[in-house]
Amino acid sequence: MKTLLLFLALGLTLNAGISEGDKAPNFTLKTLDGKNSHTLQSLKGDVVLVNLWASWCKGCKKEMPEFFELQKSYKKGFKIVTVSVDDTATKSQKFLNSVEKKTGIKTPFITLHDAKKSVAKSYHCAAMPSSYLIDKNGVIKQIIVGSLDASDIKQLKVEINKLK
Amino acid sequence: MKITLFMQLVLLALILLFNGCSEKLVRVMPYEKEHFADPKMSLSPLAERAEHEGHIFLIREASAGGDSAYQGGCGCR
Repeated sequence: MKTLLLFLALGLTLNAGISEGDKAPNFTLKTLDGKNSHTLQSLKGDVVLVNLWASWCKGCKKEMPEFFELQKSYKKGFKIVTVSVDDTATKSQKFLNSVEKKTGIKTPFITLHDAKKSVAKSYHCAAMPSSYLIDKNGVIKQIIVGSLDASDIKQLKVEINKLK
Repeated sequence: MKITLFMQLVLLALILLFNGCSEKLVRVMPYEKEHFADPKMSLSPLAERAEHEGHIFLIREASAGGDSAYQGGCGCR
């Protein structure tokens, strides 16, 4: 009984996070406009960058134009999936519209809305923004915590090219 | 000391109870900080006004300095 209790306590206390090399948890979410839904599973065969962001997060806003450029530089084999954790999708859409204006690029990636924060929970998001580089087989290859600048994107491109 | 079944059950209940206080449940997670990030939640939402008020405060209190790492707050600067 003692052993049982000990294991139970350990099991309840330890909260196993997600780490590189783990299978990326699948998700099904609707797009910001609520018209379509996407699953991570359907992107198998492509290298995927899942980015968790919000319109109230300064770092997320800073890196978003970089993602526009990044996705534009890859026509095949690499897809960015941005998951907004905003309470309302309109705030996210408003911000993306402003980035579209600034960069002159129409949003080139999949934009999903997760008001329930289910993806952030299943990916054990430690900070905002967080990005997860996932290989063709759905395995997490890199977890990036914090915002990316132009030099980080350069390094990321090297990783993406390796995985492609 | 002999641990009775009742004590074991109490212990189990306590473990379950205290796990309810685990970090994941109590801490506001980074993705849940939308309302905290609102500008109106800032201690001084109007930065310019805060600076002005600070200036007035210093004059009123007849003291200056002490609000940075290299001033002693002696009023001599």
